[in-house]
Amino acid sequence: MAAGSGLASVIGMLRAARHDYPDYASLVEDYYERGWTDGLPIVPPTPESVECFLDHAGLAPDAILGAVPTRDVVVTAEHAAINAVMAGCRPDYFPTVVAAVRAHLHEKANCHSTTGTLSGASQIVVVNGPVRNEIGIECRGACFGPGFRANATIGRALRLVIRNVCRAVPGVFDRASLSTPFRYSFCFGEDEEANDWKPLHVERGFAPDQSAVTVHSTMIVCEVMDYTSRTPEAICDGWLAEILRRGIFADRFVAEANILIVVSAEHQRYFAQAGWSKADVRDYLWKQCQASGENAKRIMLGGPEGFLIVGAGGPGHATTWLFFPHLAWAITQAIDPASATRRT
Amino acid sequence: MTIQGTDRRSEGIVALDPTSGPLEKPTGRKLAARPSDLDGQVIGLVTNGLGRSQEFMTALSGELAKISRPGGVIHVVKNSVSIAPERADWARLTSEASVAITGFGG
Repeated sequence: MAAGSGLASVIGMLRAARHDYPDYASLVEDYYERGWTDGLPIVPPTPESVECFLDHAGLAPDAILGAVPTRDVVVTAEHAAINAVMAGCRPDYFPTVVAAVRAHLHEKANCHSTTGTLSGASQIVVVNGPVRNEIGIECRGACFGPGFRANATIGRALRLVIRNVCRAVPGVFDRASLSTPFRYSFCFGEDEEANDWKPLHVERGFAPDQSAVTVHSTMIVCEVMDYTSRTPEAICDGWLAEILRRGIFADRFVAEANILIVVSAEHQRYFAQAGWSKADVRDYLWKQCQASGENAKRIMLGGPEGFLIVGAGGPGHATTWLFFPHLAWAITQAIDPASATRRT
Repeated sequence: MTIQGTDRRSEGIVALDPTSGPLEKPTGRKLAARPSDLDGQVIGLVTNGLGRSQEFMTALSGELAKISRPGGVIHVVKNSVSIAPERADWARLTSEASVAITGFGG
């Protein structure tokens, strides 16, 4: 029986080929030699551990999470569970991994392009809602960096799915010139408790008590460190200098892009003191872009809602990170707890 | 943390293949025959429209015309930079062109 679920075991239903190893070291070496890792050691994806993960998400092994038609790939829950185990996730992280995989495989998330591009775009996973506190997603100090298991392994799990299942292997469908270390893992939470800003997922139509992930495919990451500005307008103008210089591009398929703007605690403070909501920030940015003459044509956002604003990070460093998009939409996907889904 | 299924040391570890199959899947398809020259061939030139890719392909067709006598040239510019050619583009290429060259601009 699946642990604690009362459901019949799915081990016999797993379709993945099985490999026998005498010990952990030989397994890790073989997985690396077969090209199944990101270069780091992995946790063995045993049938028992994969069953446990599927049980936590309430998913049958053959549940389809999405597809990459140009690569003749269909991604199942079993695929995702195997790679989530390998990434080092805990079973209770798996519903969040599932949501991230589903978001990335949305048609407008443009998996084929964003994972194959010469530019080496990366996938940024933003977590919102109660699940952040339930599974320990770091939203504050050092949340972009190492040291937080949920952040590190959920982001890694998505990337292992992209590599192993979606076939984005360097020299095959990953054609990046330099690529980026952000492709190992990039997952963090929005610090929803820091101020009264509306969380990203709520702005995108979800209830505050619903957990969700937003996956944004990023081509360029630009940090705007600014210790001198003391007003919302001045802080925004610093961002705008980079935005207008670089442009935000879409193609006919994507039509309208999104830029992810992660505002640190020090910069958030000035917006809060001035009573600026996220909508106020967006409106200011949009009006300034529209007023920028010829540069306005290079800002292909479609409207102010193309600015995705997230508060995160600890105190002390006055900075904002701008995540310029690759040719894709940022997709927000609900995280379904096992109780909300059912194996069939 | 105990890794489930790995605590039976004497029995070793059984682990699952994490991929969607081999990178080189047998499709039953093989490369089309390569003609020895372009005389009489209808050349499909496919670009993504980025940068000066169309200009490059036009120049390329001019250069090819200097060294061979193609039967015609079909220019296909993808409808969008980031996605594959559309069905109509494929249909046009496979029905009208006898050889094809793809390229992109950045």
